[in-house]
Amino acid sequence: MAEPVPALRVRNVSVRFGERVALQDVDFAVPRGQFVALAGPNGSGKTTLLRAALGFLPTESGSVELFGAEVSGLSVSERARRVAWVPQEENPRDDIPLLDYVLFGRYAHLGWLERESDTDRQAAGRALDAVALGDRKQDGILSISGGERQRAILARALAQESPLVLLDEPTSHLDIAHQLDILSRVRALVTERKVTVVAAMHDLNLAARFSDRIVVLSRGRRVADGPPNEVISEELLARVWGVVADLRRDPRTGAPYLLPHHLVVPSSGTPFLGKGPVHVVGGGGAASSLIRRLSEAGYRVTAGALHLLDSDLETAESVGALTAVEVPFAPIGPEVRERLRGFLDAATAVVIAPFPVGPSNLPNLEEARRVLGRLPIFLLRRPANETWDFTGGAATAIEEELRHGGAVEVANADDLLAALGARAPTLAR
Amino acid sequence: MATPPPVSTESPEARGRRPWVLGLFFLLLALGVLFSPLLGTVAIDPATVLRILVHQASGGALYANPCAGASLPASGCSGLIEIVWDARLSEVVLAVVVGAALGVSGGTLQGVFRNPLADPFLLGLSSGGTLGAAIVVVLNIGVDEQNLFLPLFAFLGAIGTGLVILAAARSRFGSVETLLLTGVALSSFLSSVLSLILLYNPTGSLQVDFWLLGNLGALDWSQDGIAFGIVLVVGTLLATHGRELNLLQLGPEVAQSLGVDSRKVRLRLLLLTSIATAAAVAFTGIIGFVGLVSPHVVRRLAGSDYRLVLPGAALVGGGFLLAARDISLVAFPGTLLPIGIFTSFAGAPFFAYLLYRRRRVSTMGAV
Repeated sequence: MAEPVPALRVRNVSVRFGERVALQDVDFAVPRGQFVALAGPNGSGKTTLLRAALGFLPTESGSVELFGAEVSGLSVSERARRVAWVPQEENPRDDIPLLDYVLFGRYAHLGWLERESDTDRQAAGRALDAVALGDRKQDGILSISGGERQRAILARALAQESPLVLLDEPTSHLDIAHQLDILSRVRALVTERKVTVVAAMHDLNLAARFSDRIVVLSRGRRVADGPPNEVISEELLARVWGVVADLRRDPRTGAPYLLPHHLVVPSSGTPFLGKGPVHVVGGGGAASSLIRRLSEAGYRVTAGALHLLDSDLETAESVGALTAVEVPFAPIGPEVRERLRGFLDAATAVVIAPFPVGPSNLPNLEEARRVLGRLPIFLLRRPANETWDFTGGAATAIEEELRHGGAVEVANADDLLAALGARAPTLAR
Repeated sequence: MATPPPVSTESPEARGRRPWVLGLFFLLLALGVLFSPLLGTVAIDPATVLRILVHQASGGALYANPCAGASLPASGCSGLIEIVWDARLSEVVLAVVVGAALGVSGGTLQGVFRNPLADPFLLGLSSGGTLGAAIVVVLNIGVDEQNLFLPLFAFLGAIGTGLVILAAARSRFGSVETLLLTGVALSSFLSSVLSLILLYNPTGSLQVDFWLLGNLGALDWSQDGIAFGIVLVVGTLLATHGRELNLLQLGPEVAQSLGVDSRKVRLRLLLLTSIATAAAVAFTGIIGFVGLVSPHVVRRLAGSDYRLVLPGAALVGGGFLLAARDISLVAFPGTLLPIGIFTSFAGAPFFAYLLYRRRRVSTMGAV
C-alpha cells in the first residue's frame, strides 16, 4: 500500500486479433521517472502493448492503468493529459509551420473553441527549444528532414505535458547520428524532467545504453525484464531472436552490447539444404531431445500440433522448426489440423515421441494414421509402467494399429537416427 | 551566395494562414447578393431593381414609389416587386444558402475522409434524395402541396440514407472503407429502385430528370427560411470543428492520442453533413461539384487550416452557386436552365485538374 502509484500498470493483459494471440497475460508496472525499453522480435507484441496502453484497442482480459486510473475509464482528453504518444512515423498532409504543429499537442488543455493562449505558445516554444528546433518555428513540417520531423513529433508530445510518454520505434527511420540524437533527448527528459518513458525499440544496443530497464516480449509474452546488464545476454538473443552473438561491454558507458554473428538456424522460409523434413509428433516435453538431435543431425524438422506454453514448442522454435500451434488446453481446431496435414504432406518421415495423449491432442495420432503406408513412421518406445493414455484407450488402439501397419518402433534417439540414416536415399530431397 | 529557399514537397500555398481572404470572400458574396437580383428572365432596368430592393428592405420607408419612371407590366408596380423581391431575391438567397451547405459539407467530408476528392454526395445521399422526390412525383402525393411534399420527401430520403450509413459506421467494423463501400452499395441499390419506379411510370421521368439536374426556381420565402435556418445552425456547428479536423489529418490514432475522440467526432461530423446536404438536396435537387470544388479554392487562397477552410468553403460555395445562376442568365437570356448543368460544366474540368495534379504529386513522391 505504501508503494507509490506507478505511471503505467499493465495487469495480466491479453489481446487477440481473431485467432492470433498478440499478447498473453503480460503483467508489469513502470514506476514514475523510469525509461523502459520494450524489446522483442517483429510481431512479438511491442506495438500492440503500447496501443493497448493508449486505449486504442480493447483487451481481451486484464487492464491497463495510467497513474492509478484504468485507461478504459478515462475520457479521451483525460488520457491525452496523462500519456503522450510518439508514433513510429507520421505523414502530415499539409506543410504546417512547426509552431502550429507543436501547438496541436495543446489540444487536450484547451476548452471548446478556446484559442491557444500565450501559455500554450510558450509551452510549444519550450518544446521546440528542447529538440533544438526553437529557431525553426515557421518552417513547414513537410519541408524539414526526417530526423527533424521526428524531433518535431517529440516536441509535440512534450508540449502535451503528459507525465508519461510512449514511443513506438522512435528511431527506426533515422540514421545513426539522429538515432543517438533522439534517444539522448529522450534520456534527458527522463533525467531532468522526471518524465516516464516507455519506448518500443528494435536496437538492443541502443536500448541497453539509454534505458533503465528492458522488458522483452516474445510471441506476446513477457520473457525477460530487468536492468540492461541483467537482461541482455547471449542466451536471450539465441532464445528470443534466434541469433548467435557475442556479448561485450562498452568500455566508456559500461552498457552491454551485442555483436551479432549469424542465425541459430536458417529462419523458416529460406531454402535449407539439409535432410528431411521430418515431422515430429510430441507434447509435454517428450519430444524436446528428439527435436534437438534431429536438428543437429541436419534434418529439417516440423512439429505439432503442440499447445502454446509446451516446452516442446519452445525447443522446436529454438531450432527453427515450423510448428502447428493451438492455444493451451483447447482441443486441436480445424485450422491447426489443416496446418498439421500440410506438414505431413511435405514430410519424408514421421516420428512419434512417447508423449502423453489426451482428448485434446489425440488428433495428432489420428493424422499420423492417415499417412500410414505412404510415409515411414517411427514410434519411440514408451517407458514401461507409465500412464500415458488419457483417452480411454483410443490412443493405445491407434498406436497398436500403427505398429501393425508397418510403423517401426525404436528405443531411443540414436536408434532413430540410425534408422533414418539407413533410409537416407529416400529421405534426401 | 544566399541560402536557397526551403524545398517544399507540397504546393507552397499550403503553408501559412491568410484569414483576411475570408473577409474578401464575404465582401464578394455580399456584392453578389446585392447585384444578382439585377439579372432575371424578364428585363427590368437596374435602377428600378435596386430601388425595389431598398424599398422592400426598409419595409417601404424608403423610395415610397420604387417603380417611378419604369415601364410597368399589367400587374403594376406590385408585379415588379414580386418579381424582384419574391422571385429573384429569394432565388439568390437560396443559391447562397444551398451553396454554403454544400461547400461546408464538402470541406468537412474531405477532412473526415482525409481525401481531397470527397464531396457531399459521396455517401449516396443524392440517391436517397432523388428516390424520395421521385416517390412524390410518381405517386402524385399532395398535388397542390408539392412545394411542401417534394422537399420533405427528398429530405427524408437523403437523411434516411445518411442515417443507415451512420448506423453501419457505428458498428464494430465501421472503418472508413466500410463506410464508403456501404455508401456505394446503398447508392446503387437506391438507384436501381429509382430506375424501376421510373420504368413503370415514364410520365414522371422528365420531372425527376429535371430535379436531378438541380434548380433554384419555384420556391418562396418560407422555404428559403427553412433552408436558411437548418443550414445556419448545422453549418455553424460544423465550422466549430476546424481544430478537430486539423488534428484528424494526422490520422485518427494520433488525433486520439492528442485528445480528440476521433470516432465520436467523425460520427458527429458525418451526421451534421448529412443534415446539411439533405437540406440542400431537398430544396434544389442534385447540384454537383460545388461541395467538391469550394474547399479546394479556399485551401489554395487562405491556407489549409480547417478553421478557415470550413467557413471559407461555405462562402465560396454560396458564391459559386450564385455565380452559376448569374452566368446561366447572362449566357442564355430568357431561359430557365437547371443550375446543376452549370456547376457541373465548370466543376468537371476542375475535378480533372485535381486528379491530374494529385497523380503528378504522388508520382513525384514515389521517385
